[in-house]
Amino acid sequence: MSKFIIQVNGSVYGSTASFRALSFCQSALANGHQIINVFFYQDGVTNSNALTCPASDEIDMHSNWRSLSSQHSIPLTNCVSAALRRGILSAPDAVENGKPQWNSSETFTMGGLGELVVGIEQADRLISF
Amino acid sequence: MKSLVIIFRHAPFGTTSTREGLDFAMLSASFEQQVSLVFTNEAVLHLLVGQTPEQAGSKDYVSAFKALSLYDIDTVLVCAVSMTTLGLQPDDLSIPATVVTPEVITQTLQAADEVLVF
Repeated sequence: MSKFIIQVNGSVYGSTASFRALSFCQSALANGHQIINVFFYQDGVTNSNALTCPASDEIDMHSNWRSLSSQHSIPLTNCVSAALRRGILSAPDAVENGKPQWNSSETFTMGGLGELVVGIEQADRLISF
Repeated sequence: MKSLVIIFRHAPFGTTSTREGLDFAMLSASFEQQVSLVFTNEAVLHLLVGQTPEQAGSKDYVSAFKALSLYDIDTVLVCAVSMTTLGLQPDDLSIPATVVTPEVITQTLQAADEVLVF
């Protein structure tokens, strides 16, 4: 059994990186491996946007990540600076920055790049998408 | 501590990829990781002198490359083939870096614990 940390750099739509990352996570878990964290960086932070609303016959990556997290107790972490630059805010971010609304769902927590580095140290392998 | 190799592949200013890769490089170095950088493809253009990122609507992250030694990032490799393709000479580089063959880059990647591509 291996411990993985997953880095997602691809956006919630427009790139298949996020879908491939999710598929990898599902396969790894099905084969008895452990995912210690999924870290969203660069455009990957858009995966946390609760306002994504794809048509019913399309894949909803946002809700797929939430399901994975709740089913397997996997923390989903956004890089907060990458997120703020792209208009992805948690409720506390919105208050702190005087914005009238937020869009990141509570399943995703905001963190720093330090959490990625610490996760890389703890994991056997980092897989980036 | 792990050995991390961070590869830059994109040209300056067209994307923010290198800027966010550099943030990760400096952060992980400050967390006591052993960090090496590789510039390949159009990313070697980051190392040319006299750039003005602000004119392209970008924060001047390029000047931060000069501070790499302060973060104990001493291994900076530049792909010789990419240099030749883009018509660059070793004298054109604005920071201390080693121009190496793709074979040396391959060996560096094989020796690393983790590789991140930006």
